[in-house]
Amino acid sequence: MNGPPSLPFGEPAHTPAPAREVVSVSELTNRIRAVLESTHGEVWVEGEIANCRLWKTGHLYFTLRDEHAQLKAVMFRSAVRALRFTPEDGLRVIARGRVTVYEPKGEYQIVCEQLQPQGVGALQVAFDQLKRTLKADGLFEASRKRPLPLLPRQIGVVTSLNGAALRDILKVLARRHPTAHVVICPVRVQGDGAADQIARGIDQLSRQEEVDVIIVGRGGGSLEDLWAFNEEPVARAIATAAVPVISAVGHEIDVTISDMVADVRAATPSAAAEIVVAGRDELVGRVDRFEDRLRATVRDTIRRLLTRVLELDRRPGLAGWPARVAVRGRHTAELTHSLTRTALSRLAALERRLRTAQFGLEAHEPGRRLEVSRTRLVVAGERLGAAIVQRRQRLEGRLGDLTGRLEALSPLGVLARGYAVCWNANRTAIVRDASAVSVGDDVAITLRQGQLTCTVTAKE
Amino acid sequence: MENKIKDFESAIGELETIVKTLEAGDLSLEQSLQLFERGVELSRFCHTRLEDAERRIEILSQSGEREAAPETLTLSPEDGGEA
Repeated sequence: MNGPPSLPFGEPAHTPAPAREVVSVSELTNRIRAVLESTHGEVWVEGEIANCRLWKTGHLYFTLRDEHAQLKAVMFRSAVRALRFTPEDGLRVIARGRVTVYEPKGEYQIVCEQLQPQGVGALQVAFDQLKRTLKADGLFEASRKRPLPLLPRQIGVVTSLNGAALRDILKVLARRHPTAHVVICPVRVQGDGAADQIARGIDQLSRQEEVDVIIVGRGGGSLEDLWAFNEEPVARAIATAAVPVISAVGHEIDVTISDMVADVRAATPSAAAEIVVAGRDELVGRVDRFEDRLRATVRDTIRRLLTRVLELDRRPGLAGWPARVAVRGRHTAELTHSLTRTALSRLAALERRLRTAQFGLEAHEPGRRLEVSRTRLVVAGERLGAAIVQRRQRLEGRLGDLTGRLEALSPLGVLARGYAVCWNANRTAIVRDASAVSVGDDVAITLRQGQLTCTVTAKE
Repeated sequence: MENKIKDFESAIGELETIVKTLEAGDLSLEQSLQLFERGVELSRFCHTRLEDAERRIEILSQSGEREAAPETLTLSPEDGGEA
């Protein structure tokens, strides 16, 4: 390859006509090919891609051109596969390859081994291209994003077994959700084959019966390190996963394709774990709030009913009920007593039932992790208990008062204080006036205990 | 009212209905207590589902089998507290 190319035609120019050599097209083409290949064994050429076509065979055909010239180019399947980006029209590239001749067409061309986009790096071009493709396929649509389960039965994690990401995730879960059930699918997160492994991991985990959410990610790193998360297999696996996927790659500034396709993007693996348990926290809160409302409604019901009981004797229709009951005479005391007893035992039964239910509400109380809500429950419980006791005392007092008033009106109560009732001889009327009887008449006396029959001996 | 609690979702759904029914009022004390007791049962179920599980960390092999993760990964919450 040193020195100027020497044409391998022998010296035909100096040879006289009779000695001229006639060669076939094939032979000539073959010779030209030999010259070109020996002199341009490996070249680097810069130009813009045009007429780019990928054949079904996997080979790529295109033209490299600049303002003044163009060059046919081909890239064979194996080289195409190794490309990180997809060559397309208008892209300026530096191609490495060797010049050759395609004999059937008599065209010279460059067989490219490698293409490098100019300006931005190959990775950036690849990133932009995949982003465009996936966007066209609708994979970034907000409507595709699925809500995360509030209470995932199992949490799938696709990441490296040795990475900081897994440690961070487990650490957060240990702190925030100590009873989490985690299923890890260990994969390479960088280097050859990483993207396929990650994609397979997502797919495999999403087929697990009880895995309800998947975290896929790794710690931060260079664009090169994070590359697997910018590859199509990962993006497609996330999009087709049967359960919602949280993408957690590196730190805040690194947005990957997988972040964009995922149902939820977390800035870091730790953040992903926090997001997963947030749903559970919300549920705990929701159950707690329902309990509070439950208690409040029962409290209100009891308050309403008690108010009604306490207002009974103020009702005009019932105003005179102790007096009316008193007319029944000797049954009044028993009646009053059994009224009181019934009311109190009903109240006590209610209270027991409430306390039992209350106890049930507190018995399940989880351990130290729910201290806040526990305290809230206990305080609420105590308040409710106190309120019930207070109302009960008030009602008891009220009933005692009513009983007292009933007893005051009862003739038996009067007798108890030492008074006696004086009846006429055949007990048809109470003797209220001395003039109603004559000396010598018999009268009957009712005492607290027993009866007397007496004879009137004098009148005043 | 049926007594079996199917799953968490139905439990919290029924709990919500009960709370709303109770809040709407117009129930006898007997009825509200019955609902209250059912509500307590449901909320206990919910808490059980939220709390009663054992911490488990498993590794899914390529062949789809699960095995317990190595101890280095299964730190207790206390161990995990440091930064």
